[in-house]
Amino acid sequence: MTRRTRIVMIISILIVMLVGAFVYYTLYNKPHIDVAKSSPNISIASNTIVNDFEEDENRANVKYLEQIIEVTGTIIETSITNGKGVVVIGAADTFGSIMCHLSHEENEKIWTLNKGQQITIKGICTGYLMDVILVKCVIVD
Amino acid sequence: MKPIHILLYFFLSTTFTFGQSKYLTKQGYTSFFSSSPVEDIKADNHQVLSIIDSSTGAIAISILMKSFMFEKSLMQEHFNENYVESDKFPKATFKGEIQGLQDLNTGQQEVTIKGNITIHGVTQTIETKATVNKTDEAISVNGSFPVKVADFGIKIPAVVVNNIAEVVEVTFELDHKPYIK
Repeated sequence: MTRRTRIVMIISILIVMLVGAFVYYTLYNKPHIDVAKSSPNISIASNTIVNDFEEDENRANVKYLEQIIEVTGTIIETSITNGKGVVVIGAADTFGSIMCHLSHEENEKIWTLNKGQQITIKGICTGYLMDVILVKCVIVD
Repeated sequence: MKPIHILLYFFLSTTFTFGQSKYLTKQGYTSFFSSSPVEDIKADNHQVLSIIDSSTGAIAISILMKSFMFEKSLMQEHFNENYVESDKFPKATFKGEIQGLQDLNTGQQEVTIKGNITIHGVTQTIETKATVNKTDEAISVNGSFPVKVADFGIKIPAVVVNNIAEVVEVTFELDHKPYIK
């Protein structure tokens, strides 16, 4: 093996290692989904998604979990607990509702919302407890 | 309808015998913390549902696995897909009793909580100390306990075995308010 080929080999190994480290680093630091900048996977009325979960939770889980969902409905309640804003959407006469946990950036907007107002909100669905839960929510309209 | 729901509805629909006895939170907090030589991993969940019956001390908790938020999205992905398999097991639950809750006076005190915890489809009995703060308008329950990952059939691949602790610390802060239907 000549001196030249040895140097070429060492350099290529170094390059491969660097690329590997770079890929690993970018993968490891892959950012979270930015809900504000992403278009929704599903746009839906609040009643429809609540009914879907009440009827068949397992099927609804498959359909909605980890999706960016844009829901439209009426505000039943707004609250702030430990500095975290929550908007509850639904119809006053039904049992089920949607709890939208606002993202950190949107938190302040809670003060501009009123009970009874129509709202469109976008967030990531994490499941169904007594309500459908959306997290990292951003107010659309 | 899953058993936990039947239980929850049962809790909520039973008639009140001694005035207000059901306390609830939909925004309870729980976190887990894994410390290893390579890295520390923490995840927070602010969407915990917990219901207490103050006349018996019974407590029922329901947690969505997908609501655990990690600093790195890759960790969150691995947690959901490889470890707790949250598509197959979307919830963790706890059903148990805060011993002697009905006899407590208002104020802060230490209690023992005993019951069954289900994670990743595996149920284990646990007993832990917790701090209860009882006032006229609220019952808060705070504490932490260790969870051995292997006890719940969660397998950690050999490649990352140094990144994840065998025993993770679970912390909870549940601030219950009277439940008004």
